[in-house]
Amino acid sequence: MTPVVNTPAAGPVRRSRGAKLLRAMRRAPGPTLCAIVIIALLIYAFVVPLFSLNPFEFSGMSVLDSFIPPAWMADGSPDFPLGTDDQGRNLITAMAYGMRTSIIVGFLSVTIGLVLGGSLGLIAGFVGGKVDAFIMRVADVQLAYPALLLAMIIDGAARAVLGTERSVGTAIAIVVMSIGIAFWVQYARTIRSSVMIERDQDYVSAARITGRSNLSIIVLHILPNVMAPVLVIATINLGIAIITEATLSFLGIGIPVTSPSLGTLIRNGNNFLQSGEWWISVWPCLILVLFVVSVNILGDHLRDVYNPRLRGRS
Amino acid sequence: MSASDFLILNHVSKVYRRNQSLLERLKKNETGGTKAVSDVSLTVHHGETMGLVGESGCGKSTLARLVSGLMAPTSGEISFPPNAFGNKPRLQMIFQDPYSSLNGRWTIEDIIAEPIRVHKLRNGRTAVRARVDELLVQVGLSAADAEKYPQEFSGGQRQRICIARALAGEPEFLILDEPTSALDVSVQAQILNLLRDLQKNLHLTSLFITHNLSVVRIMADRIGVMYLGELVEEATSEELFHKPRHPYTRLLIDAAPDMDTSDRSLHPIAGELPNPAFPPSGCRFHTRCPFAQDICRNTVPPQKATETGGMFRCHFDLDLSNASIFPPAAKVKTA
Amino acid sequence: MINAPAPLLDVRDLTVTINRDGKLVTALDKVSFFVNPGEVLGIVGESGAGKSITGAAIIDLLVPPLKRTGGTITLAGTRLDQLSPKAMRSVRGGRIGFVFQDPMTSLNPVITIGQQLCDTIQAHLKLGGNQTKKRALDWLDRVGLPNPDVQFKRYPHQLSGGMRQRVVIALALCADPALVIADEPTTALDVSVQAHILELLRDLHRESNVSMMLITHDLGVIAKMADRVAVLYAGRVAEISPVGELFNAPKHPYTRGLIRATPMPSATGEMRLDQIPGAMPGLGAVPPGCAFNPRCFRAEGDCRATIPPLYHEESSAFSCFHPLERVTA
Repeated sequence: MTPVVNTPAAGPVRRSRGAKLLRAMRRAPGPTLCAIVIIALLIYAFVVPLFSLNPFEFSGMSVLDSFIPPAWMADGSPDFPLGTDDQGRNLITAMAYGMRTSIIVGFLSVTIGLVLGGSLGLIAGFVGGKVDAFIMRVADVQLAYPALLLAMIIDGAARAVLGTERSVGTAIAIVVMSIGIAFWVQYARTIRSSVMIERDQDYVSAARITGRSNLSIIVLHILPNVMAPVLVIATINLGIAIITEATLSFLGIGIPVTSPSLGTLIRNGNNFLQSGEWWISVWPCLILVLFVVSVNILGDHLRDVYNPRLRGRS
Repeated sequence: MSASDFLILNHVSKVYRRNQSLLERLKKNETGGTKAVSDVSLTVHHGETMGLVGESGCGKSTLARLVSGLMAPTSGEISFPPNAFGNKPRLQMIFQDPYSSLNGRWTIEDIIAEPIRVHKLRNGRTAVRARVDELLVQVGLSAADAEKYPQEFSGGQRQRICIARALAGEPEFLILDEPTSALDVSVQAQILNLLRDLQKNLHLTSLFITHNLSVVRIMADRIGVMYLGELVEEATSEELFHKPRHPYTRLLIDAAPDMDTSDRSLHPIAGELPNPAFPPSGCRFHTRCPFAQDICRNTVPPQKATETGGMFRCHFDLDLSNASIFPPAAKVKTA
Repeated sequence: MINAPAPLLDVRDLTVTINRDGKLVTALDKVSFFVNPGEVLGIVGESGAGKSITGAAIIDLLVPPLKRTGGTITLAGTRLDQLSPKAMRSVRGGRIGFVFQDPMTSLNPVITIGQQLCDTIQAHLKLGGNQTKKRALDWLDRVGLPNPDVQFKRYPHQLSGGMRQRVVIALALCADPALVIADEPTTALDVSVQAHILELLRDLHRESNVSMMLITHDLGVIAKMADRVAVLYAGRVAEISPVGELFNAPKHPYTRGLIRATPMPSATGEMRLDQIPGAMPGLGAVPPGCAFNPRCFRAEGDCRATIPPLYHEESSAFSCFHPLERVTA
């Protein structure tokens, strides 16, 4: 900073992005740990499949290796540290594939919910009046249904329309759409209330007096200011979306077995829980819990950091 | 209409409709709502600063928003007589709250450059940046501040940035809505001096709105006094303070405590500010006026022109030039 | 100050710090002043100077991360800084009344104003039910609420801002305190209402002879209300003087700067406006030496090196190495 006449009370000294991040990490070790866990799991889910055959395609299967317990147990084998499932699939590889599907589905459905809810919320908040009333009443009606039930209804309706013959891609698309649509309301409400606050701020008035159009005010001024709380919700919803997908898959109406998610794995393992082969469902369960809990804690922390009431006035 | 007329307000009113309940709407009950600005007529001349003063709820900020075009009047018209170029003049506004008037996600450069880009006043990145730097220096900041964000500045510095942004639009007309009310005294003095210099050098026409009579006295050439949505008096700054014609103006001048420690008397205005949604009948000030008579309660006072080009709304021609003509105890109605 | 009566409130070296991420930042730096019985002490300064913190520190209402870390506070011989939280509660509202800036937030919105008054009276005066109510009604009348019987049953939101502030004043005074701390009591009000509230405070002060600490940023209010004035700057006392002396012959360059920066018509009606360059340093950014030295036209080497102590001279005190001469300001 160069010395400036007339501005002795200049703001805080600016730090580089890296230094800021480091400081934030030191202040919040818990969320930092969660972030590390998330990154590790992401690497696991996306890197392991690059180096191993897909165990859910027939070539990768070896029935001889089925039901091998984790390595440290009596019948364990060092080749399969976490054991194998009923089809002889190495659980470490299987879970990486499952995790990858779960994360992709979760991410895509959150994006759809965010885009859909976000734009409806922006319109409702900025335009107001009858448009606002209509959108928000639709949201109220949708809120009367549990999200999971709604996802099942949309899923069922899509199946009925598209028929039973469908590719893995279509199946995933249907699941993504149904979860995304089931969760748009929360984004719409949050964005709407933030927009209604920002809309009346003086900087928006200043832009309007200068001659900006409504569209450019929304895109350039309002959107950047309302995104923070929504992105936090999206983070938390990523966990919920993954759980919802797992539930759908567990119930057998989600992702086909040829491209399993964690939910499918848990469902599969559930069959053998009674007969003593606990590891087939417990590992996917644990990894799901670990990922979702980490995402939630991180999301909560971000929400505190971006609390709009604390924002701006340092 | 004379050639020097810059802005003309012709019987402008603004009604805020109350949120009616469903039942009220079914009954088709036109309750009317709050008349925030009521029948205001005003002319601002080229190159002058018109001040507007009044207490909260008097409609001064609503009037600013009407003139700026942020809101449309319910009735009446606001017009800028065509200038030599035949265009509507470019206008800019400076707001009260220096925190909410800057987009916290934008750099100072982008904030100040926005009017330049929208109006295409400079072409090319370097030309825009050069202009931003020039404006920053002009308002007492430095070119190095352009890369920073609003959060890094104090309230007074933010108000300087707002001024730079307004000047960037090369306005012919500037609306200032309580530009120093959120600032501390020593910073307020800096901003007022800056604004005074700019007025002198740029020959701006402006509308200066404030609740502070001393501030408006320093800044404005002519002053309008508002009470409950009405313009009750309008005169040159000099005349308004030396020879007010409306009792409210006189009382308002006396009510603000000055720094004279030898005379420690206080001069409150009798009664309380009525609810603007239900203004008193007749003259709106009659409930608090020491001169009120029957005619004031029933008849709306006419707008009277003064020989010096001012205006006031009172049934009587009172001589109010002496300060503190009402001793605080004499709240009895003078007959 | 040999003949002066024993002060009612004596604050010495009051220090308040803010814990900012483990780093201690001084918000109030060894502030000393006293309030004589029956006196109105004005405390004036710009935002961030520490005026409100001073008021809150005296009645132990500092909100973390603010914390009192030093100094003594003595009210009529009692060391307030050593009282237990429980004993402090009875001082608060009892021996010290408090008037806040915002009347809406200092009243409980779901309890009638009559009940709030009765609660305060009962908590501190131990009166019977009938007497309590009588006293509450009496106070509503004294602070100028029309029809006390009707107002007694009303809720804060049913009153105008000025009326609410009157209720807050009644709450502060109803338990016969020895000292009232009024923190910006008229800042949220319009000019015409402000004068009413100031007049009410003055009348009640004359009737009850209660001592008052009037915290405000408005020099006009100070000029009309205060007997003596303490000027705060960046958490330190810049000057304490009798009100006439302060306005007519200020000692500290900051005091004079503040007076001259206030837009007010002078006796001749001429308007002038002299600005002080720069801005008050933020918390934790106070320069070494005198806090005002970067903005001061009289600053010399010693001002930048050492914090000037509070020099006492007749009835006034100032913290400046190069005070202004006693000429007309």
